Amino acid sequence: MDTPNSVRKKGRSQPSQALLAKTFHWINIVSLFLMLSSGLQIYNANPVFGGRGGWTFPSAFTLGGWLGGGRNWHFAVMWFYCINLLLYGLYVVLTRRWNRRFVDSQDIKALQNSHNVKRKNYAWHRLVYTAIIPVLVLAIVSGLAMYKPAQFAWLSGLFGNWQILRTVHFITVPTVVLFTFLHSVLALKVGGLRLVNSMFLRGAGRV
Amino acid sequence: MFDQQLANYLRLQNRLSRRQMLQGAGFSGLGLLLGGCGTTLLSEPIGKVFDPLNGNLNALMLSNKPVPEFPVSAIEPDEKLLINTFDATPQIDPSKFQLTINGAVNNPLKLSIADLQTLPLTSMVIQHVCVEGWAAIVQWGGVRLSDLILLAKPKPNARYVYFKSADGYYESWDLASSLHPQTLMAYQRNGRPLSVDNGAPLRLASPIKLGYKQSKWVTQITLVDQLMPAKGYWEDLGYEWFGGI
Repeated sequence: MDTPNSVRKKGRSQPSQALLAKTFHWINIVSLFLMLSSGLQIYNANPVFGGRGGWTFPSAFTLGGWLGGGRNWHFAVMWFYCINLLLYGLYVVLTRRWNRRFVDSQDIKALQNSHNVKRKNYAWHRLVYTAIIPVLVLAIVSGLAMYKPAQFAWLSGLFGNWQILRTVHFITVPTVVLFTFLHSVLALKVGGLRLVNSMFLRGAGRV
Repeated sequence: MFDQQLANYLRLQNRLSRRQMLQGAGFSGLGLLLGGCGTTLLSEPIGKVFDPLNGNLNALMLSNKPVPEFPVSAIEPDEKLLINTFDATPQIDPSKFQLTINGAVNNPLKLSIADLQTLPLTSMVIQHVCVEGWAAIVQWGGVRLSDLILLAKPKPNARYVYFKSADGYYESWDLASSLHPQTLMAYQRNGRPLSVDNGAPLRLASPIKLGYKQSKWVTQITLVDQLMPAKGYWEDLGYEWFGGI
């Protein structure tokens, strides 16, 4: 995303996104949606809270139709979700986007001291989308610890016990849902529909 | 053996069609409006592609190294190990029980409980992980399956192991997982003789496979060179075949 400054300098506000950023964003949204819905299907077989007889998610939120179907989806889409995130990680490190496109000390200062609402919104926006990255990684780490608890016994062990591990993995779901809401609101506040479109649509992309 | 497997397979087909009918009834109307949500949409073809991929990767990562065990103090109360059966609980007279080991072996065996108890007893405290998502830390005691397979002198072409249970349940494993040092034919749990609900007189127990792979009431172990169309009760309904953890 262009900073508000550069937008102002150009005199026209046409935000644009790198093609790789857009590709990551799309694959991430679709694979996360499938991981969440198939994950809730798996959840329903034995709810983290309450076990058998615990509250289950309505079938409108689940994917797969039954436990076996949910697992098929979950353990197929995990590859797309993980590889996409890995490639994105390499991309932001190699292109040094990590230094420019994510929350930094200037944003934190703005949040503490600035009276400029636009600058503060922009800082919040960068803070929120930076903060979701570790949650996306945590979903993989806790998922792997549950998927292969014998082969990765050391990793499962870090979580203390099975119930904690299941809870951590599950909590990534409401976190991602809340993030989606905040991220959408902040993106609209910062750049309106034009910013949102620049991330979703093909036109005017910086390659 | 093959007649029995065919009978199982046919019974399975019946169950499948009943299941599909029920699903068809449940997911009409609103379900259709919601598209993929709540349905089995594409889950079968996706499983057919990714189950072998994930299973083969798991098999590659499998080592003969024991999985770290838990201290005895970590054993959880008996009721944490939930009881799952696909059908009725069979009543087996332990004095008449015989475990048959046959198939691709040079020395087919029939072993009584007394015979099994003369073999070295292995005890382990491991985490039993169910496909449904729960887990329990359990102590199992029994005979290493690898000891039994070696006694039966497997032929070089043996690659898979079928397990037949008294209740009609059937399972198949890869040979490497069957020979893992923590794969047991167990007759003890949490320091006491195995209960009937948990698979007495003899069941599979292993930390490297999901619970549905660990057949209870095992009466027959058959080594084969290739998998049959019937791979396992739950696998034939759509669970992963390898089921490694």
